[in-house]
Amino acid sequence: MNTTNELRKSIKALIAEKKVDLFLAWEKGSLPLTATPLFVSTEDQADRAVFDVTCGNNLSIYFTKDRKQFANRKVGIAVKGCDARSVVLNILEKQIQRENVVIVGVPCDGVLDRKKVLAKTDGREVLELIDNGETVTVKGNGFDLLLNRNEILSSSCLACTYPDAQEYDVFIGDARGEVPNESRLKEIHDFQALSASERWDKTRNEYERCIRCYACRNVCPSCYCNVCFVDQNDPKWIGSTCDYTDTLIFHVIRNLHVAGRCVECGACQRACPMDIDLLMLNRKVAMEVKDRFGDIAGLDINGKPAMSDFREDEKQKFIMG
Amino acid sequence: MNMVRLDKKKFGDFILELSVEHAVYAPGNTGGKTDFIPVSSEDEINLKTLVTDLSPKGIFFPHSEVLYEYDTEGIRVPEKEAGKPIAVWGMRGCDSRSLLMLNKVFGSAIQMPDNKNFQDPYWKEKYDSSVIFGSACNMPQSTCFCNWFGDGPHSREGMDVFVVDAGDHYLMEPVSDKGSNILGKLTCLTDSLEGDAEAALKLASEAESTMVPPMDVNGLGELLNDLYDEPVWEDISAKCINCGACTFSCPTCHCYDIQDEGKGSSGKRIRIWDSCMFPIFTMEASGHNPRALSSQRVRQRVMHKYSYFLEKYGDFLCTGCGRCITVCPVNLDIREVLKTINVYNRQGITNG
Amino acid sequence: MSEWQPRILAILCNWCSYAGADLAGVSRMQYPPSIRVVRIPCSGRVDPLFIMKSLQSGFDGVLVSGCHPGDCHYISGNYVARRKFAVLKPLLEFIGLEPNRVQFSWISAGEGDRFAKVVTKITEDIRELGPATRLVKKT
Ligand code: SF4
Ligand code: SF4
Ligand code: SF4
Ligand code: SF4
Repeated sequence: MNTTNELRKSIKALIAEKKVDLFLAWEKGSLPLTATPLFVSTEDQADRAVFDVTCGNNLSIYFTKDRKQFANRKVGIAVKGCDARSVVLNILEKQIQRENVVIVGVPCDGVLDRKKVLAKTDGREVLELIDNGETVTVKGNGFDLLLNRNEILSSSCLACTYPDAQEYDVFIGDARGEVPNESRLKEIHDFQALSASERWDKTRNEYERCIRCYACRNVCPSCYCNVCFVDQNDPKWIGSTCDYTDTLIFHVIRNLHVAGRCVECGACQRACPMDIDLLMLNRKVAMEVKDRFGDIAGLDINGKPAMSDFREDEKQKFIMG
Repeated sequence: MNMVRLDKKKFGDFILELSVEHAVYAPGNTGGKTDFIPVSSEDEINLKTLVTDLSPKGIFFPHSEVLYEYDTEGIRVPEKEAGKPIAVWGMRGCDSRSLLMLNKVFGSAIQMPDNKNFQDPYWKEKYDSSVIFGSACNMPQSTCFCNWFGDGPHSREGMDVFVVDAGDHYLMEPVSDKGSNILGKLTCLTDSLEGDAEAALKLASEAESTMVPPMDVNGLGELLNDLYDEPVWEDISAKCINCGACTFSCPTCHCYDIQDEGKGSSGKRIRIWDSCMFPIFTMEASGHNPRALSSQRVRQRVMHKYSYFLEKYGDFLCTGCGRCITVCPVNLDIREVLKTINVYNRQGITNG
Repeated sequence: MSEWQPRILAILCNWCSYAGADLAGVSRMQYPPSIRVVRIPCSGRVDPLFIMKSLQSGFDGVLVSGCHPGDCHYISGNYVARRKFAVLKPLLEFIGLEPNRVQFSWISAGEGDRFAKVVTKITEDIRELGPATRLVKKT
């Protein structure tokens, strides 16, 4: 089944039946390996929509951009499993109303991380990518390279448990179902096995490279504060230079702000121009949230984000005395 | 002085010789990314990437720079270790041109209202004494659009020495007096042979022929001014998420913020990269923000690059290096933006 | 030379732990002079950012203390705080900060002895670790 065609049909139908005023999807980007967000408001435009391995963007960020830009409009959105969780979270956090969104789930086999592809080509530009299923072929000026799909998928996808939208109005194609993904937390357990000073060195080496462009924050569907704490200047909480203590505080606090709200879509990591492994800490936090409070961000449309909830009888072994 | 040759086998010696009197910067790896980094030997240099992920502006205009320190005694400009002048190896034409643009701002900015020129000492100290070894591009990328604004992949603008990779050797030609001087001093160079100049020209025309023909940018500045109030900006900016990735990786973006970092009775005044993409960039103390919307900020970025800077300094503030295109998380392609502008039929204006 | 004395920031809630500290004082209980107290209305007010900032500015440790579960003056402030701390603490350890630098406790207004004990314990633990270096900003 051709997902792209089905998606186009579905968007056209929604527009024709006036069920949506606007539909958020993806179209082919101007670069190889890239898709770009597409805002569809006419049936003709729907023919530009695509869904494939390049469609990494989590489109739910547009619900919270520029405050109320879609206010009083019915908006349709194409979602992968992780994106759907962001939409649910946006609904739970009252950024959008369920009745104003039409959620169209697409079957997702994972999206690629361009940076991983480019790392394989040793600095040479990639001009084309052919998806063969288990493998992909990347072509450039005077070379082609056969890569295993797992080598270039976004690390968020390699650890994904819920590839299908759990909340949707329309689902296109065949759902993959829950993926048990045994190795999901291996990286975290391996890291935890290191000594504290090894962990500190690694963390520092990673975050020291941050240039504070905030692409990670801006691309994150869960980061939509009017004024982010790093931008506040009265009081000014943290310095804006690349001093690693400041950068690390920015990231740790951001991790906590998205605790129980991070859907592990990996958008932050794919957006980072410095290729910093941002997902590791997010995943650690998600793991704690799940183990301690039993919550998984954006899975339950009748739930409550973990950090705005509590139970009286929670474990508290970490409390002193 | 004429063209000279550097045998690639002697490249290591060349870097060592250059390092004697210079702090040498060249493309290298930081984490998984490429940037211009201080190098002391051939091994640290990565010449495989055409366009480094971060631009060389950071050499002369770093992300954060302490302007002075203060305490109850007064203020002090931090002492620099008696630094050697900077030499940069492997700078592409787009990047060396960007330094000329930055030099217009930091080297002699036109001040309103008295029209005196302001010179930024922190910039001048590093830039004026530097020597730039350029690097001609024999194989431009699909994101390169230097041919829109400059004179293409073998441009020499902003370089002191023009360098062409000609297989097993480099051909070097001085572009400035500083360039002739340094070439005169280096001992590992040999005279060029007959046919070398022709070989370089051939590489230049081959490189040019692989590039997509440019969009005509004549009149772009005025066109933009006319379109300032058009609704087209909303469409153009719809997908931008206003991160600063494009402006931080751009070799010509040079906006900065000045912040104090104090503790107790002492502190530092620091200049830090800023970006017109950030909502707080124009936030006023009253809470009013003249560029509160994403569309207004995207318009500012485009207007500054292709209209305001042109008006003030006679050049576009864009060299066509393509970094903003590759780095953008939502693939907002500046070439597409300019094309949209170019064909926009200005309904709003004609209708009223 | 006298032994190195860690500097520990104690963020105490107004209704229980601060009163507990007070009681320890008026009862002349002995505990190390290592803490600097900040009084806040409720442990629920403690933003993890306060803790990070304290470490960055050079404190060797941070203690946050509030009312026992069920006793919060504002009914649920400490429950909300507990969730935050329950995530913050493992995260800080994960990035490689020494586990004992940041601690949480519940101390009621009547538990002056408990306050003295907690301060003694956290001080000893931190003395063992030595001065903080990892998140401290060099100025
Ligand atoms: S923190 Fe990263 S992975 Fe988590 S929701 Fe935000 S962008 Fe997605
Ligand atoms: S990091 Fe925190 S304050 Fe900043 S936008 Fe994200 S959630 Fe809001
Ligand atoms: S995207 Fe990367 S470089 Fe930019 S602020 Fe985030 S971590 Fe830092
Ligand atoms: S154009 Fe792209 S890189 Fe620039 S601010 Fe917008 S989203 Fe970020």
